[in-house]
Amino acid sequence: MQLLVNIIVLSSIYALIACGYVLIYRVSRVLNLAHGELMMLGAYLLLTTASLFNGNPWLAIGAAVVLSLAVGVMVYVFLMRKMTGEMVLAAVLATVALGILLRGVMVLVWSAQQQYPGQAMGFTSTALALPGGARISLFAAILVGVTALTYLALFVFLRFGRWGVRMRAAGQNPLLAAQRGINLHGVYALAWGLSTLTGSLAGMLIALDSGLTGSMAIIGLKAFPAALVGGLDSLIGALIGALIIGASEVLSIQYIDPLLSDVVPFLVLIAMLIARPWGLFGTREELDRV
Amino acid sequence: MSSRVPRASGYFRTRYDGYLALTQTRLERVSLIVFLAALIVFPAVASAFYLDLVTQVFLASIGALSLMLLTGYAGQISLGHAGLLCAGAFTAGILAKEWDAPFWVTLPAATLSGALLGVIFGLPSLRLRGLYLAISTLALHFVVVYLGGEYETKRGFSTGITLDAPVIGGWTVYGGRVWYYILLAAAAATLLICLNLLRGRTGRAWRAICAHETVAEALGVNVAGHKLLAFVVSSALTALSGALFAYYRGFVSVEAFSLFLSIQYVAMIIIGGMGSLLGAILGAAFVTIFPYVIEAVMLMLPNAQSYAGVLFAVNYAAFGLVMVLFLLFEPLGLVGIWQRIQTYFLLWPFKHKPLSGGRR
Amino acid sequence: MSDTPRPPLLSVEKLEVVYQRAITAIQGVSLSVEEGQIVAVLGTNGAGKSTTLRAISGFLGIDDARVTDGSIRFRGRRIENRQPNEITRLGIALVPERDKVFPNLTVAENLAAPVTRGARRDDEAIYQVFPRLAELRGRTAGLLSGGERQMLAIAGALMCGPDLLLVDELSLGLAPVAVEELMQRLLQIRQDLGITILIVEQSATAALEIADYGYVLENGRVVLDGDAARLRGHGDIQEFYLGQSSGTERRSYRDVKQYRRSRRWYG
Repeated sequence: MQLLVNIIVLSSIYALIACGYVLIYRVSRVLNLAHGELMMLGAYLLLTTASLFNGNPWLAIGAAVVLSLAVGVMVYVFLMRKMTGEMVLAAVLATVALGILLRGVMVLVWSAQQQYPGQAMGFTSTALALPGGARISLFAAILVGVTALTYLALFVFLRFGRWGVRMRAAGQNPLLAAQRGINLHGVYALAWGLSTLTGSLAGMLIALDSGLTGSMAIIGLKAFPAALVGGLDSLIGALIGALIIGASEVLSIQYIDPLLSDVVPFLVLIAMLIARPWGLFGTREELDRV
Repeated sequence: MSSRVPRASGYFRTRYDGYLALTQTRLERVSLIVFLAALIVFPAVASAFYLDLVTQVFLASIGALSLMLLTGYAGQISLGHAGLLCAGAFTAGILAKEWDAPFWVTLPAATLSGALLGVIFGLPSLRLRGLYLAISTLALHFVVVYLGGEYETKRGFSTGITLDAPVIGGWTVYGGRVWYYILLAAAAATLLICLNLLRGRTGRAWRAICAHETVAEALGVNVAGHKLLAFVVSSALTALSGALFAYYRGFVSVEAFSLFLSIQYVAMIIIGGMGSLLGAILGAAFVTIFPYVIEAVMLMLPNAQSYAGVLFAVNYAAFGLVMVLFLLFEPLGLVGIWQRIQTYFLLWPFKHKPLSGGRR
Repeated sequence: MSDTPRPPLLSVEKLEVVYQRAITAIQGVSLSVEEGQIVAVLGTNGAGKSTTLRAISGFLGIDDARVTDGSIRFRGRRIENRQPNEITRLGIALVPERDKVFPNLTVAENLAAPVTRGARRDDEAIYQVFPRLAELRGRTAGLLSGGERQMLAIAGALMCGPDLLLVDELSLGLAPVAVEELMQRLLQIRQDLGITILIVEQSATAALEIADYGYVLENGRVVLDGDAARLRGHGDIQEFYLGQSSGTERRSYRDVKQYRRSRRWYG
């Protein structure tokens, strides 16, 4: 039973991070490899707002959330917008470079020590008891809930929202979208903002649960196979992919070898690339967008 | 057609042999000889620090040249370069440690393991292109590095494997100057191999594949074979450079082969300029020297001591920034800048060449 | 009777478009479209018709092409080399030749995506013109037939609330019956919605059926223009675009060009 709880928690983490990859890829066909670092940035922002708004943790959280949205939009406006005409690969390398830049800046601003925003905000992490003798920490449970809510909100927005439809349209046929009056830069900026927002939520919740370390970016990178396995432009895919990766990881740690935890997502990724490169639910596209 | 004025009027070739020649004008030949002479004499005048620096540049060049072959010429994106370096280094290390193998066994073995790994890294390229290919190489990198880590832990070398210096006929290879010449020779050999591959059929096939795969196939180029060949050659050379790195440092540890290292090599070919061997070398020099420049700048700042702890973070940030700047503003890399400088001087006092075509 | 002459809605003067800074696609092309007209631009493949249309709608950048000479004026304002969504906001909508719908969105979503100018959108008016689309509201656009897809493409353009509709190669890949039906729809659009239409067509027959005025492009230049009626009766048009030959002898292309050139010089 505890195993199942672990799987659900890990999958929720991966799912919340993976939807960020999917959002940007679906709308602009760019792979944001800086997502892990942006996620970490969100957590660090929470640390800062927590000390700024000492005594008012909810305000701190709210401020951090708004800041992350702004960061995402700014990343688009100041960096990615200049890359829109270029090859997709150049854009991806730009995100990689951004990630490296952010990594360095974060250490410079906040130091490389492990931080505990939860403590700074006066939260204590309690463990909840579940049927079957399993335990789940409070923040992990909140994370599962947040993931579910986020996915629901995104589904509804993309399906029924006016700008949600426009975002999907821009992802399918950017030329036609531009011709139909849709401001592509605005749509892309929105995608980046939302993606950074969801990533930051994941970062903050992980930090509240188990602390902020430099290895958070690796979690972000491990969530990427979840997005790809499900299909880089499918939200449902990201959810299912996260479940598959999470389950594989937890089960292989339990039954095979604990050291495998960092490499299992990539093994599943390779298997999927061999069998079905566009993922379980992705649109089958020409895979030669260089 | 003057051989004294470099490229002012364009092509000078009058026969097909000209395509295969390494240098075109007398000026080029002379500059090349002077440059080589300077390289050979360098250790006599340089301090140990600069000697080591240039030696590192030679080592990096091998990896950069091989990546340039793969990505810059054959057009196959690879983000897994560090994995191949790791494979080469670990092959050498494992053979030396487990079976006391001498270097003239470990080096070829490393090259061979690189070639085999190249086949594995190259197989996805037969089905995938562009972004997805890059992703597959990334994933394979993690797998290779994991295997290296597994070996370290299982065999108890958690801090890494130390290697004894190679011994040639009773004489131990040791010392800055010796390694300088060894790696100079290795880099020069790699450059020649690359040049030869590119001047011949293989290079033309690769360029054709890079430009338009379907057309290349239609023209009779064995696309699958040449893609794999690109991976195999590139990986073999990279693994060799990894093994050389292992001997040079005397130490192999899986931490050295991070994703950041892969990105550094990709940065080398981008900053240098894609599609140019000169670019690979310039890029290798740039990326290798960069951290030292940062360190020197930091030392000049007041209160230098307090920054010592965060040097690596400054490195990261500066590196990321420079890479972004190059991607945004100079996609043709250092070679592009060099060409623009050349063009400026050639065309002066005119600003640009007159328009050709599109006008009555 | 006609009141004081109004400036044309769209006026293209001596337009020159160059691809990749090397290849001139059209040169010295001039045409004008009055409000409420249906104007046809005819010509064979590669004559420069689509290029002209793309220049007007701001699509040139994608193919690395630029307007290097001449001007395009819409309601007196110059619009060459602008962004596509700016031009849409000014009141020009393009029905492209390829990739004309959003394939993974439903028909209704395809019609919800465009950004309307000014006043609120009016789905019902569009469904009146294309009743078939009303039945297909929930269908994914990628699964529509060729004719239905073309209808959706036109409807999508109409949702932008344009004053000028540009239609690129309507008839490609459609059966003649479907083409005729769509042409009638265009007439209806002009009638009911008061939208001016500029249509680029290879199929001269279909286009001249509904057009008021026509231009013929060849090798990047306008070689002929006139009222639709005059064009329909014109010998050269009949021979080369409508496939009707007056005599038993087949004249060569060169002969015709000579003929035209001599006509131009000697009146």
